[in-house]
Amino acid sequence: MSQSKQQVYRLNTGGRIDRSRTLSFTFNGQRYQGHPGDTLASALLANGIDIVNRSFKYSRPRGIVAAGAEEPNAIVQLGSSEAAQVPNVRATQQALYDGLTASSTNGWPNVQRDLMGLFGKLGGQFMPPGFYYKTFMAPASMWLTYEKYIRKAAGLGRSPMEADPDNYDHFNQHCDVLVVGAGAAGLAAALAAARSGARVMVADEQEEMGGSLLASRETLEGKPADQWVARVLDELASCENVTLLPRTTANGYHDHNFVTLHERRTEHLGDTAPVENGHRQVRARLHRVRAGQVILSTGTHERPLVYAGNDVPGNLLAGAVSTYIRRYGVAPGRKLVLSTSNDYGYRAALDWKEAGCKVVAIVDAREVPAGDWVDAARAQGIKIITGCAVIEAKGSNRVTAARVAKIDIEAFKVTGPVQELACDTIASSGGYSPVIHLASHTGARPTWRDDILGFVPGLVKGVQACGGANGCYALGDVLAEGVEAGIKAAAAMGHAVQTVTLPSAERLQQGPAVALFQVPHEKPTLRGPKQFVDLQNDVTAAGIELATREGFESIEHIKRYTAMGFGTDQGKLGNINGMAIAARCLNRSIPEVGTTVFRPNYTPVTFGAIVGRHCRDLFDPERYTALHQWHVERGAEFEDVGQWKRPWYYPQKVNGKTETMHEAVARECLAVREKVGILDASTLGKIDIQGPDAREFLARIYTNKWEKLAVGKCRYGLMCKDDGMVTDDGVTSCLAENHFLMTTTTGGAAAILEWLELWHQTEWPELDVYFSSVTDHWATMTITGPEARKLLAEISDLDLDRDSFKFMDWRSGNVAGVPARVYRISFTGELTFEINVQANYAMHVWQTLFKHGEKYGLTPYGTETMHVLRAEKGFIIVGQETDGSVTPEDLGMQWAIGYDKPYSWIGKRALTRSDTKRENRKQLVGLRPKDPKVILEEGAQIVFDPNHAIPMPMVGHVTSSYYSPILDSGFALAVVKGGHQKLGETVYLPMADGQTFEAEIVSTIFYDPKGERQNV
Amino acid sequence: MSNAATFDTRTETAIPVESPLAYSYRRSGAPQAGGPSRLQLRERAMLGHLILRGGAIVLDEAVRDVLGLNLPGQPQTLVQDASGERSIQWLSPDEWLVIVPGGEEFPLETKLREQLGSAHFAISDVSGGQTLIELSGEAARELLMKTVVYDVHPSHFPVGKGVTTVFAKATTILRRPSEDRWELVIRRSFADYCYRWLLDAGAEFGINVQQ
Repeated sequence: MSQSKQQVYRLNTGGRIDRSRTLSFTFNGQRYQGHPGDTLASALLANGIDIVNRSFKYSRPRGIVAAGAEEPNAIVQLGSSEAAQVPNVRATQQALYDGLTASSTNGWPNVQRDLMGLFGKLGGQFMPPGFYYKTFMAPASMWLTYEKYIRKAAGLGRSPMEADPDNYDHFNQHCDVLVVGAGAAGLAAALAAARSGARVMVADEQEEMGGSLLASRETLEGKPADQWVARVLDELASCENVTLLPRTTANGYHDHNFVTLHERRTEHLGDTAPVENGHRQVRARLHRVRAGQVILSTGTHERPLVYAGNDVPGNLLAGAVSTYIRRYGVAPGRKLVLSTSNDYGYRAALDWKEAGCKVVAIVDAREVPAGDWVDAARAQGIKIITGCAVIEAKGSNRVTAARVAKIDIEAFKVTGPVQELACDTIASSGGYSPVIHLASHTGARPTWRDDILGFVPGLVKGVQACGGANGCYALGDVLAEGVEAGIKAAAAMGHAVQTVTLPSAERLQQGPAVALFQVPHEKPTLRGPKQFVDLQNDVTAAGIELATREGFESIEHIKRYTAMGFGTDQGKLGNINGMAIAARCLNRSIPEVGTTVFRPNYTPVTFGAIVGRHCRDLFDPERYTALHQWHVERGAEFEDVGQWKRPWYYPQKVNGKTETMHEAVARECLAVREKVGILDASTLGKIDIQGPDAREFLARIYTNKWEKLAVGKCRYGLMCKDDGMVTDDGVTSCLAENHFLMTTTTGGAAAILEWLELWHQTEWPELDVYFSSVTDHWATMTITGPEARKLLAEISDLDLDRDSFKFMDWRSGNVAGVPARVYRISFTGELTFEINVQANYAMHVWQTLFKHGEKYGLTPYGTETMHVLRAEKGFIIVGQETDGSVTPEDLGMQWAIGYDKPYSWIGKRALTRSDTKRENRKQLVGLRPKDPKVILEEGAQIVFDPNHAIPMPMVGHVTSSYYSPILDSGFALAVVKGGHQKLGETVYLPMADGQTFEAEIVSTIFYDPKGERQNV
Repeated sequence: MSNAATFDTRTETAIPVESPLAYSYRRSGAPQAGGPSRLQLRERAMLGHLILRGGAIVLDEAVRDVLGLNLPGQPQTLVQDASGERSIQWLSPDEWLVIVPGGEEFPLETKLREQLGSAHFAISDVSGGQTLIELSGEAARELLMKTVVYDVHPSHFPVGKGVTTVFAKATTILRRPSEDRWELVIRRSFADYCYRWLLDAGAEFGINVQQ
């Protein structure tokens, strides 16, 4: 079949791509073609795109290195429209779809020719490790300026500037066995566990499950390995107890086998999710998995060799070369030099040759390589140069030659003459590093194994590693380990073990690998051409050597000083090489140097997936009262109180103009003082307390006395924490001898119920008392003002006579035909009835009140007016007048403390400490500004002497401050040191703008000091 | 007779009532999927809800006499009468939720109080404070997986189980009265949030709201 002429490196046959269909895509503004089955990376390689990015620090041209999650260079920005922008996508993990639009993340203004290249070439000399600390941190104030340009130049991707049209989800999953990675080991484990009947989940990050078996030279039962993969996947898919999640990366492994998986459900279809049956599909899903057992079959990352010029485009991992040829039908060059320390690397040369391309030479660091693949290469007539390594790649935008020389690994020296081999591709293999990232998230330290030259994961309870992740590389052994892990995991979850017959794998003879990490150069590391360790963060071998010379010995410090393994890279390719270089410089062994800690997430997770459905109007619960719709329709502005939406004030249209808050509140305040107002007080916490010891319990939990509160009566109560500081307040009513209804602050309701349960369950279990929340059961409508009685009398059968239904009484009867409990308690100082009905009837009662209330001037008021009215009366709000450091005495509420109660109560001990008895504690007072037009600022600091040198001693602050329409003056509540003894004295409030306000310390009660109005 | 105040919050008079979802229906509507739907949502409004607290043995005797049901003694279990209209759910070692047809709760409370005499217990009427949402259809379990953290797999959540769990950023009581039905007991003040969440999460299954 003829190929598109642009796809210069596309092979005519082979791979898992569908050549019968062509997809077009755009990269950096150019249009290209690829096929279904391609990743963006394989399509770019097929089209001969050498440079995919500019490097982070030095702005060097970079090409594709790997074929999976470990790719350090091909990090792209995806999205054809502003809203669809996704940063930090690895081209190696992005399936190609028709119309895909991508651009390089780095390279400003463009990758081919960028301004930063010059800076990189010149400036690179001046960017040693620790560069940021040394240069840009001083002066510190300039860092924000530097950072803006560094980020633009370095390019860490950008977030979209428009709203994301897509939906995201969280899924709570539970399973017996979670298998991470569906390669040979993972599939074998999943099969074994699945056959036992256990609930199994399999997550695999690639487009297709099967891992390396999808591109393997090896056979199972004499057939291509992918046939076995297909058979196993068929069986797993048919099991009801198995969930298969392709395109799903396990990104975080948290405590107690809680694993977060990031499933990309539609990213292979387009840059926004398709619409099906009128519903936009969920684009990405975060699975929150609680697994009984976890099997890590995450495989390996191949380790590149560190040689000079190893970042020039055309340098690839040996395994990646094989993958591109065998899985994607792309040979990313024409002439290959392979540099290897082991037998596995040979497969790249064999695959290259079979693809019809030229293998210039295999350069093997070992003196006497021997093994089946070595023999195969010899049989193919491939030239093998032994005891040597590629010491330098030549070329700038693409490899042009490999410099090869004899090396002495022990002495870290080039020992022979250098020969230059012309080529366009250099593949390297330094062996494998098990992917230990997830295991590392749990805090378990990995263990170094000399036999495999790599770290294997440390394991916590309930997790196993198998196959490559466990340092086991021979296919037959990998399958056996997988089956064993699957059986063990299932058995641990109580599922009977089933036999699984393993497919027969070839037994291949392999020679031992040699420990080669950094390849020596003729010049010393610090003076030679750059040898890159971490390509994504531009960390070189010289940088690590310099760090050790500057005294950094801990690998954690070296990492931070050089930025090795930072950010999205998480050390996938470079970490082990970096440790080996540090070990060489420090003259230690690799296990002595140790490894850094890998952190979640393994690969970047989009904010969409993290947020899930918790966004926009579902970001946080909004709690509504039964009357919410009325408030909305009345045009109320709302205030958040905890999660409640409470009407704040109700602006009206006056002469075609909407009232300001100030105007609305003044109108509402006067309506209450002169006529009658109504407040939706349903949000107050309500706790039903029953039991023979309820009364004693109240007396222990509140500071004041409850022994004598008669049935039908209400009392204000003050609650302290055990430190003697006020924590909540409210009115509690005696419903029957053994039955009370406690009200709490709106925000404190849940915490106070817990507080009651805590003391009952842990300290006073001998008290017979039960608590239940009835907050939502009752709707509470407060009518308050001189006309309140007349209004209520019209629609109620209650006896409202002032002598039979007194202030601080409650009665039950009918209001608007609905059974109601009515409480004569007041937070405004006016005649008040709090009408409580079952919430389902609330709207009817509320509307009936308005039907009858119009003639009395019934005015709805919100929390702002409530605050003004209560402050005029000196009533505190817990959390406003108090801040966790205020005692009842500080508030001047000695009358609410029962020091002589027959038993101790919460806070009593603390209130007798010398500190709580101290005289100059901050005490609650009223403040009357000398200029009545002044509204003091809440939070403003108070001083006694405004002429005192700065810093002035601060003696308190304003806690509440408002304009009082009835007094036509500003007024405030404040805490002032020793304030109770300072009535009549003047204090000063110096403001940020240089003004100083004067105020007189007065009583906290500004209006109706004798409390006559509420008693009428 | 315990010395507690009882109060019938309902009236026989024809008074318009609003269930906790009344506002939500007006605000967010009640989607009707055209054609076969994989997911149905139905509010069972205005039922009688009582919280029962006390010792299991004494309460068990009383509810058997008065309601003809055993008190579920095992944690996280739910018992129902033959019609499924009356149920008792274990909430905590000394706490149960009783749900009965609307209007039955006050006579039931009165009878239980008589039966329990001087024993230490508490009965709180919470009928106005919560509502019951029923989910059915093949996608119900998937919707729940998006919504609650608890494991709703049939092997872990058989018929007759009931738990208190996290609902998105709120809480819920979740129970499974039959093979194909799930029930969520939602607090009134959170009902709109929960309803909007269920509509949003259920959209891809073509959620169908029955009123």
